[in-house]
Amino acid sequence: MQLTDTRVFVVTKDNYDEFVKEFTEVYGELAFVALSMKDYENLALNIAEIKRYLQQQTEIIVYYENAVTEKSDGD
Amino acid sequence: MLRIYAILVIVGLLGGVGYAARSYYHDTQNTIKVLQGNNAKLEIAAETAEASTKALQADMIKNAALTKKLQSQLQKAEAYGDELRAKLNKLNLVVEALKDAKVLEGKMNGATAKLWREFMGDTGNTNQPDLPEWLQRSETGTGSEDSNPDTKDSDTNSNTTEGSATN
Repeated sequence: MQLTDTRVFVVTKDNYDEFVKEFTEVYGELAFVALSMKDYENLALNIAEIKRYLQQQTEIIVYYENAVTEKSDGD
Repeated sequence: MLRIYAILVIVGLLGGVGYAARSYYHDTQNTIKVLQGNNAKLEIAAETAEASTKALQADMIKNAALTKKLQSQLQKAEAYGDELRAKLNKLNLVVEALKDAKVLEGKMNGATAKLWREFMGDTGNTNQPDLPEWLQRSETGTGSEDSNPDTKDSDTNSNTTEGSATN
């Protein structure tokens, strides 16, 4: 897989003005998607779950590959 | 005359005994041949059975080792999620954000970049992109010890990367 970096901004009432300035400088327009901290946590946990599933499926494929080959050192 | 009959009877008896002995000999020889053939077949069958048993035992040992390793690897795959859950339970992100938004932002972006690269590594991509410039700046700004000094990407936009996928 080839993945693309994603940038997160943490914004509070204290740094909102600074965020607006920096964001507008970088992206030109002030349009963004906002997530609550709880939703950010859920998103992170969902991605962790996908990572777990991907790793486990990979290990199962390796297991079956080793099981059907004549010689196996368990790798 | 009686003597001649007696001799004929004796010759007949001897002939009969000889014929019977010859038949018995041939029958016995045939039986021996059949038994030798059966014995050879049984030896082959026994060798095959022994080889099959050994192969099954070897397979059982191999499968037991593979299953043990699989269980261990499946368990290991749970580690990232468990660590993340523990970290999120320990931290209150709202409090951390109010304390220092930039520090939290740097940690989030650093962890996310690391996660994407782990995904790429897990799927066989050995040609991973450098960290983007905005992330390096963020890491330097927050004094992160994890910042990569070898990074070269000067792109300020998060929607571009370098490198190519292998799968």
